[in-house]
Amino acid sequence: MPEHVTIIMIEDDPGHARLIEKNIRRAGVLNEIVPFGDGNSALAYLFGPDGTGAINAGKALLVLLDLNLPDTSGVNILRRIKENEHLKRSPVVVLTTTDDKVEIQRCYDLGANVYVTKPVNYENFSNAVRQLGLFFSVIQVPEAS
Amino acid sequence: MTVSTEDAVAPTPSRPRRPLNQAVVLGAGFGILILISVISVFLVNRAREDAAQVAQTLLLENTISNLQAFLLRGETSQRGFLLTGDSRYLADFDTTMADLDRTIQQVQSSTVGASERRRALADRLAVLLQTKQDELRHTISLRRSGDTMGALAVVRTDRGEELSREIGSIINQMHVGEQNQLGERISASRSSNLWLMLVNLAGAVAIVGIAALALRITRRNTEDLRTAHHNVEEANLVLEQRVAERTADLQEANNEIQSFAYIVSHDLRSPLVNIMGFTSELEALRTDLFDRIATLRAQAGDTNGAADIALDKDFEEAFGFIKKSITKMDRLINAILDLSRQGRKEFAPTSVSMTEMVETIAATMAHQLMERNARLTVHPIPAIVSDRMALEQIFTNLIDNAVKYLRPDVQGLIEVSARETPGYVTYLVRDNGRGIDPNDRVRVFELFRRSGPQDRPGEGIGLAHVRALVRRLGGGITLESELGLGTVFKVTLPRRLVVEGNGGKHA
Repeated sequence: MPEHVTIIMIEDDPGHARLIEKNIRRAGVLNEIVPFGDGNSALAYLFGPDGTGAINAGKALLVLLDLNLPDTSGVNILRRIKENEHLKRSPVVVLTTTDDKVEIQRCYDLGANVYVTKPVNYENFSNAVRQLGLFFSVIQVPEAS
Repeated sequence: MTVSTEDAVAPTPSRPRRPLNQAVVLGAGFGILILISVISVFLVNRAREDAAQVAQTLLLENTISNLQAFLLRGETSQRGFLLTGDSRYLADFDTTMADLDRTIQQVQSSTVGASERRRALADRLAVLLQTKQDELRHTISLRRSGDTMGALAVVRTDRGEELSREIGSIINQMHVGEQNQLGERISASRSSNLWLMLVNLAGAVAIVGIAALALRITRRNTEDLRTAHHNVEEANLVLEQRVAERTADLQEANNEIQSFAYIVSHDLRSPLVNIMGFTSELEALRTDLFDRIATLRAQAGDTNGAADIALDKDFEEAFGFIKKSITKMDRLINAILDLSRQGRKEFAPTSVSMTEMVETIAATMAHQLMERNARLTVHPIPAIVSDRMALEQIFTNLIDNAVKYLRPDVQGLIEVSARETPGYVTYLVRDNGRGIDPNDRVRVFELFRRSGPQDRPGEGIGLAHVRALVRRLGGGITLESELGLGTVFKVTLPRRLVVEGNGGKHA
């Protein structure tokens, strides 16, 4: 993944956020990671003060999204990203504890690019995040228009 | 939504006066009928008497007329004989006189109960007739003895003529009397008949009235019955509705519990991942730390590593406890999650051949059975319509338990059989294992509870899971056990599982 790609990590559990970051780094991904602990601050960052998302035009973003957020639902964030003119091509990776079939289908229907269930067991968790990191290192991310 | 008890259907106020009304109407009806019958019988009798009296009067009149005729005939015979002296004229005289006597007797007897005047008339008539008869016989005997003149002289005295006139007058009087009597009797008979008709008419009107009243009462009763029926139906409807509402409430509560379990298990997992994650991080750090200490010590020329080794041991012990606890907690959370998943799974009832299914389960356990030197017997058991997966889990768990808790010193015997009742089948899973303490017979069905020595792997989930499933399948599970001798689990299931609309879906 080119270095200019920014990883937007929306994850309300700071411990999870730290573990994810550590394991992504271990996979050799050195891109900038911008963490958000709640949905609204992430939305403010993504869509800018005018709410159009134009603020991120020309930037390459990859969104790592948790669905269980305290203030707004991750599904809502996903929908808004995929409906936005500037952000819709940015890959969204859903990384969440839920493995409900209906929820997974809904996310893909809304345009999620990858859905990964957080393993409960830490070994598997770190393994999954590390593999995700490896995956990040090879994918192409388009710039927001 | 809850329905308050005030909504209960108020019972329709009963009307106790109705039975009384009905009795009164019926009694009145019967009373009137009896009265009419009595009056009718009385009147009919009177009419019959009237008719008899009319007939008697007519007969008497006829008799009186006959009297006149006989007298006339007697006189005619006498005159003929007196004129001609030919005894042929006397041929009928004696019979006529006998007829006359008989007739006057009839008249007298028929006036026995009559009025004084009529009886007097009849008696007078009898006397006159006797006198007349004597006169006739006297003249005849005179003529027969040849004294024609003497006989004629008797006739000429006009004594016989006077007698005849007087007789005629009395007969006339009697005729008039009888005519009056007849008129009276006919009018009495008419009035009797009129009364009879009136009474019958009144009776008919009364009966029609009572019938109308009875009809009205019947109609009102029918109406009341219909209302009552309607009320009962409405009450039923309300009841059904309430049952449906309660069921919905329960369903909702159940769903809430399910989703609660799901959320709890989910939310418990998140911190657990952190604990596990950072414990791993700490372990990694420990290695780094001790490496660094070793390096620093080497640089400082300290060769005594014993303190480091002791420290490392303490670390190891602490980490061991933490990791064990984490693993245990992870298992428990997974168990709750599993249960809540099971609770939300929708059932698909199909016809399940239970014998076949249990034999399949037995086959998959052949290894464990052999290992423990146990034998499992599956009797032919009835098939039911239910959820196959759930049934498999129930019986796998029960048989697995039976195998798991067999006694090591006795050859294990496990037996699966069934008992049938209408609508339900009770499946029995019997073992000769170590049994369950009486104090634990309820507890074993609770989550995370286990009975007896904790020498077998397990979390205390199996039976809780089994009971939850059996209940969801519309059945129940009980156990009978003899500590140290064995246990029987009795699973009662409906022959046909009915799946209601299930709102069990959850994110």
